[in-house]
Amino acid sequence: MECAFEAQNLISISLRKIQSSRTQRGGIKLHKNLLVTYVLRNARQFYMSKNLSQMQRTNPYEDVTVVRERQEYLEWTGSFTELADDFYCNFTGVESDTWHCGAHQPNGQPAEVAHQGASACAIDSPSDSDLMVSDACWSCADKSSWELSIPNTQANQKTVLDLDTHVVTTVTNGYFHTDCCAQPKQPQGAQCYTKKRKIDISYHIVDPEFYLPDFAPVPCKRMRSDDDSHSDSDQLDSTNISNLISVLGSGGLSEFVSWQQTDLEQIFASQTICLKHTLLTGSGWTRAIEAF
Amino acid sequence: MLCAGPGGGSNDVQWCFSQVKGAIDDDVAEADIISTVEFNQSGELLATGDKGGRVVIFQQEQESKNKLQCRGEYNVYSTFQSHEPEFDYLKSLEIEEKINKIRWLPQKNAAHFLLSTNDKTIKLWKISERDKRPEGYNLKEEDGQYRDPNTVTTLRVPVFRPMDLMVEASPRRVFANAHTYHINSISVNSDCETYLSADDLRVNLWHLEITDRSFNIVDIKPANMEDLTEVITAAEFHPNQCNTFVYSSSKGTIRLCDMRAAALCDSHAKLFEEPEDPNNRSFFSEIISSISDVKFSHSGRYMMTRDYLSVKIWDLNMESRPVETYQVHEYLRSKLCSLYENDCIFDKFECCWNGNDSVVMTGSYNNFFRMFDRGYQQDMTLEASRENSKPRSVLKPRKVSTGGKRKKDEISVDSLDFNKKILHTAWHPLDNIIAVATTNNLYIFQDKLN
Repeated sequence: MECAFEAQNLISISLRKIQSSRTQRGGIKLHKNLLVTYVLRNARQFYMSKNLSQMQRTNPYEDVTVVRERQEYLEWTGSFTELADDFYCNFTGVESDTWHCGAHQPNGQPAEVAHQGASACAIDSPSDSDLMVSDACWSCADKSSWELSIPNTQANQKTVLDLDTHVVTTVTNGYFHTDCCAQPKQPQGAQCYTKKRKIDISYHIVDPEFYLPDFAPVPCKRMRSDDDSHSDSDQLDSTNISNLISVLGSGGLSEFVSWQQTDLEQIFASQTICLKHTLLTGSGWTRAIEAF
Repeated sequence: MLCAGPGGGSNDVQWCFSQVKGAIDDDVAEADIISTVEFNQSGELLATGDKGGRVVIFQQEQESKNKLQCRGEYNVYSTFQSHEPEFDYLKSLEIEEKINKIRWLPQKNAAHFLLSTNDKTIKLWKISERDKRPEGYNLKEEDGQYRDPNTVTTLRVPVFRPMDLMVEASPRRVFANAHTYHINSISVNSDCETYLSADDLRVNLWHLEITDRSFNIVDIKPANMEDLTEVITAAEFHPNQCNTFVYSSSKGTIRLCDMRAAALCDSHAKLFEEPEDPNNRSFFSEIISSISDVKFSHSGRYMMTRDYLSVKIWDLNMESRPVETYQVHEYLRSKLCSLYENDCIFDKFECCWNGNDSVVMTGSYNNFFRMFDRGYQQDMTLEASRENSKPRSVLKPRKVSTGGKRKKDEISVDSLDFNKKILHTAWHPLDNIIAVATTNNLYIFQDKLN
C-alpha cells in the first residue's frame, strides 16, 4: 500500500508541477510537461488497478465486468461517500514494514494488505485502455521519503490542489488540513476563501502555433494545411483538457475535472463526510482539483 | 593525438587541476549559471554561455618556449552579450535570454565565427582581432571631431598604425522567427555552408548566408496535439557525411535521416532503439529513458546518447541495441521519487568524446563527473570543487557508497548534494584538457605531464 500512497502523492505533485509550469518564465516547457503527464498516467493507472484488485478481493464472486462498471460509475458520479472508502488509507506507523490500506468493509473493519517490500517487481506495461489487475507493486522510493509526522491514528485521506491559492490540502476524516500554503492558517470563519468564482477548467495549454499570423516570415517547404488550422482552433475549446494531459488516454484527467464541475454546495448538503474547511463557508466557489 | 585513459591500467592518466573561472561566492546569481561549454575545432578557444545571455570566450596562451611540457592557460579573450530577454506580445510569453547552445564554425580566415542560440533565435557572431587603426584622416581629428574645411590646405593618405589588441564580437547574422517551440540543438554541417536547428517538434535547415528563410526537414507535430507522445530532444549532423543527421527523442529513440532520400525527413533511414527492461519498470520509466544529448564520435562510426542514468554507445551499423552501456549513477534509481519531487529528474546532462574516441565523459551530482574508458573498460569519478583547486594538484578518484557500510573517503548517496550538478562538459579535440562547468564556475583540468 506504500506504492498506492506513492501513486497518490505523485498525482498531486504532478498536478502541482503542471500548474506551476503555466507561470514559469520562458513559457511552458513542452518536454517537461509531457514527461509529467506520463508520470500522471502511470500513477493513475497503477492506482486504478490497485483499486480494482481491492474491490475484487472484497467481492470475490463479483463479475469483473460488473466491478469495472462500478469503478467507472464511482469515478463519474463523484460520490464522496463511496470514493472515500476507496481511498481510505490507514497508516499504523512511520517505521512499520507493513502498510495497511483497505476500504471500509461492511462490518467496519479495514482489510489489510501487507506491503510486499521495497524491491522492484515486474509489472506489465500500462496501456491506455486497460485497467490493470496486478498483484505486483511498483518499485518504491526509500521509506525515508515517506516518513510522515502524523499521529498514529486511522485517517481518511484525500488530496486536493486549489488552483487559486496553490494550496495542497488533505482531507482527513472529512476535515481539510492545509499541507502547504503561502499564507498562514486562518481561523474558522475567515474570509480568505470566499471568492465567488466559476470553476474553470483551464488546464488546456494553447498550441503556440494558433497565434501564428496569416503571413509567414519564414516560408517552409512544408505547407500548413487547412486541417492544421482547424485543429489549432479546436485547441482553444474551453471544455478540452490540456493537450498534454489528454495523453493520459481514455478518461484522462476528466474524472478529476468532473469534480470541478460539481457544485460544492450540493455536495455539502448531500455528503456524509462533514467538510469543515473555511473555503466552503457561505457560497464560496473555488477551483479545486481533487487528485482523488 | 594523445591516448587518454581515465585511470587504472597500463595507460594511466592522472588528471590535475589547472584553472577555475567564475565567482567564488556561494551566493550564485541566476544569470551567471553556465548553460553551455564548447571548444572550437583547434581547442585554442573555449566558449561558455550563461543564463544571462552572455558569451565568454577563453583563449589558450601560446606555450612558452621556456616552459616545455607545460600547456598554456586559458584567459578571457572576449565577452559579449549575445541574447537579451524578449517578450512575445502576441502570445504574452517571455523569451529567456539563456544561451542553450554554442557551436563554432570551422575557421577559414583570421576571424572566428560561432553560432549561439536561445529558445527562439540563433545568431552568428564574428570574433575578430584589431591591432591596427588608421590615422591621419584629412577631415577628422584623431579624437573624431571634424576639422574646419577651411583649415585643410593639404591632403595626406591615412596610414595604419599599431594599437593595443582589441577583440571585437559583432553579430553578422540573426536567424529568427523559425521556431515555435524551444530550440534545444544547433549543429553545423560538414559542408560549412548549412546548419540545422532543432526544437521540440521540428528540425530546420539553414544556410549560413540566408536569414529570411529556412527549410523544415523534420516535423513530428501530430495533426492533433492531443496525440503528442514524444518530442525531439537533441539533433546533430554527421561529422563527415553532409547528408546525414540524427535526432533523439523523449522516448529514448534515435533516428538517423538521410537528406538525399527526400526533402522531408519525417521517415527515418535508421531507428536506434533498445527494448525496455520490464524488470526496471517504474512510474518514471518514460522520464529516465528520455535522451538528453546525442553526440557523434569524431570518426563518425559511433554515436553516444545520454539518458538520466546511463551513457550508451551506438554503432551506426546496428540499430537493435547499443554496443556499450555505462551506468553513470545507478544508485539514483531508488531515489527517483525524490528526484522527481525536486525536479532533478528533469536535468539534462550532456556528454562528450575525447579526441580519439577512446574515452567518454559526462556529469553527475555533487559536482562529480564520470569518465569511461572504452578500451580498458574502466571508469572513474572525479570531483570539481574548490577544495581540490591547488595548481597541478592531482584529482583523487571519488566513490559513492551504495552498500550498507561506507568505506573511508566514500560518500553516501544520501549525502550527495543535488544542487551541485555538472550538466555541461567539453573535451579538447586534440589534447587531454577538459572543461567542466559547475553551476557558475568553469573548471579546467588537464592530464599530468611527466
